[in-house]
Amino acid sequence: MTKSREIKSRYFGLAGFIFLFLPMIFMAGCGKTKPRLNIYTWADYFKPGLVSRFEKEHNCRVVIDTFDSNEAMYAKLKAGAMGYDLLTPTSYMVSLMHSQNMIQRLDHRLLPNLIHIDPDYLKLAIDKTMDHSVPYMFVYTGLAYLKSKVPDFVPSWSMFDRADLKGRMTMLNDMRETIGAGLKFLGYSLNSTDEKELREAKEVVLRWKKNIAKFENEQYKTGIASGEFLVVASYSGDILQVRRENPDVMFAVPRQGTVISVDDLVIPQNAREMELAHAFINFLHDPAVAAENTMFLSYLCPNKDCYPLLSEEMRKNPAVFLDPEIRAKCEILADLGEANALYIKIWDEIKAAK
Amino acid sequence: MKRSRFPLMITVAVLFFFYLPILILVVNSFNASRFESSWQGFSLRWYARLVHEPEIWQAARNSLIIAFSATAVSVILGTLAAVALHRFSKSRLQRFHYTLVYTPLVMPEILMGISLLMFFVSSGVRLGLFSIFLAHVTFCISFVAMVVLARLQDFDYSIVEAAQDLGAGWWATIRKVLLPMLLPGLMAGGLLAFTLSIDDFVITFFVAGPGSTTLPIRVYSMIKHGSPPLINALSTVLLVITFSAVAMSQRLSRSNQ
Repeated sequence: MTKSREIKSRYFGLAGFIFLFLPMIFMAGCGKTKPRLNIYTWADYFKPGLVSRFEKEHNCRVVIDTFDSNEAMYAKLKAGAMGYDLLTPTSYMVSLMHSQNMIQRLDHRLLPNLIHIDPDYLKLAIDKTMDHSVPYMFVYTGLAYLKSKVPDFVPSWSMFDRADLKGRMTMLNDMRETIGAGLKFLGYSLNSTDEKELREAKEVVLRWKKNIAKFENEQYKTGIASGEFLVVASYSGDILQVRRENPDVMFAVPRQGTVISVDDLVIPQNAREMELAHAFINFLHDPAVAAENTMFLSYLCPNKDCYPLLSEEMRKNPAVFLDPEIRAKCEILADLGEANALYIKIWDEIKAAK
Repeated sequence: MKRSRFPLMITVAVLFFFYLPILILVVNSFNASRFESSWQGFSLRWYARLVHEPEIWQAARNSLIIAFSATAVSVILGTLAAVALHRFSKSRLQRFHYTLVYTPLVMPEILMGISLLMFFVSSGVRLGLFSIFLAHVTFCISFVAMVVLARLQDFDYSIVEAAQDLGAGWWATIRKVLLPMLLPGLMAGGLLAFTLSIDDFVITFFVAGPGSTTLPIRVYSMIKHGSPPLINALSTVLLVITFSAVAMSQRLSRSNQ
C-alpha cells in the first residue's frame, strides 16, 4: 500500500513539475534578442554547415521548418499561417502564389549576387526578370537505365515502346510529367492546352502503359539500384545519388526534350525579416556557396560563376549540365489555369485504362 | 480430443503481419546501402549521422514538450468532463456536452487542422509550440474523456457515499477514493493521449509555426527529400525507447499488486 501511494505521489509530482515548467518552456524562445530568420523549405535542402556560417556572418538565428509538398505548403499559407520569411516552392506554385499576391517583389539592391545567375537558365524561367523569385535549384526529368543490362539504350522517350523491356520499366506517377512526356515525344509543348494534341499524347501514354510495370515516384530508386527495373523515368538529382552506390546506373535526358523543374527562393507577403531574407538569398548565390550546395544536393544551382568551382565529374555530367541543343527543347511546367481540368480528365482515363 | 491448430495459425500469422515490417525496418537501419535495395554490409553510419542532425533532435524535443504538456492538461480536463458526463448523464445539457466531446473523435483530422488554423489566425494566437499544444489538448480531451467514462460505467457511487458517511470531506473523497479507483482509467487515457499527440501529423502540420516542427512533420518531409535510412535508424531508437517503457510499466504494475 505504501509503495503504491509512493508511486502515485510520484505521478502527481511529475504532473506538477510539468505544470510549473510549461510556461517557461513556451517562453524560452522569446527572450533572445538576436534576429530570427524563419525558412520554410524541403528537408535537407541546404548543405549542413552553410546555415551556421550564415548565422555567424549575420549574427542571427536561422530556423528551418519543412514541408513535403507544394500543395500542403500553399494550403497552410493560404489559410493564414504567418511568420515565415523565406520559402522555396516549385516554379508553378510560385506563379500561382504570385497571381494571388502572396509573395513580395524583391529588392535587387540587396541582391548584388544576382549578377552571377546564368542567363541561359534564366531564359527558361517563368519569372525572367527575377521580379519576385530567384531560381535556386534546377532538376530534370529523364531516363535512368542500367548500362550493363540495356546496352542498346537510346536517349529517347521511345524507350517505353520497347516490348522486350516489358514489365521492367516505370514512369512517374505524376499527371504533368507523364502526359508531358507523351507531348514531348510528339514534338508538342509540355504546357499544351490543345485538346487534339492532348488526345494524341494520351494514346501514346496508353501504348507505353502496356510496357511499364507501374507509375512510380519513390520506389524507382530502390528498383533501379537493385536491378529490378531496367529503365525508369526519374529525377536527375535522385539518380545521381543512386549512382554513388551503383555506378552501373546511368542517366540521360531524352533528345525530344523534357521537363525542367526549378525551385525558387521567394519572400512571402507577411515576412518580418526582410533584410535577412534578402541577405540569405544573396548568400546562397555567392559562387562558393552555390558550388558547395550543388555538390551536396546534385541538383544545379544556376549560378554561372560557381561552375568553375565544381568538381570535374560534376561539370562534365550531362545530368547536371544539359547539352545546349537539348536544353533548347526543354520546358518548365507552367500553371495551366482552366486547362488543368482537361489534364486531370485525361490522366484519370490513362490511370483507369486496362 | 485434439485441439484445433487453427487459432495458433491465426496468431502466428497476425504476429508475423504486425512485426515483420518492423523487423525489416530495424534490419535495414543497419544496412550500409542508402537505397535498401540490397544488403551492402552491416553499418552504424546512419546512427552516427543521426547524432549529427541537430534539426531532428530539435524536432524530437518539440514533440516531447508538446506530448507531455498536452497529456497532462488533457488528462485533467478530460477526467473532469467524464465525471460531469457520468454524474449528470440524465440532463439534457450533459447530453449536448457528450455530443461536443464525442465529435472530435469522428471529425476528419484535416477539417480540424484547417479550422483550428483559421481560428488561431483570426484570434491572433501566434503559431508555434503553444498553438500545437492547444490543438493537441483539443483532440486529446475527447479520447481521455471516453476512456475515463468507460471506467466510470462500472463505478459504484455508493462507495463515495460511504466515504462521505464515514466523515470524509470532498477533498479526502477525491484523493482517497475517487482517484485511486479511476487511476487505471487515467493512466490508460494519458497513455492514449500521449501516443496520439506524439505521432499526430495532419493537425500539427497546419497549426505549427516557425521553429516548431515536430518529429512526424520532419520525418514526413525527410521521406521525400532526405535519407530514408536515417528514418529507419531514428525509428529503431524510438522503438527501443517505447519497448523499454512498456516493459518498465509492466514491471511496475506487477510489483504493485
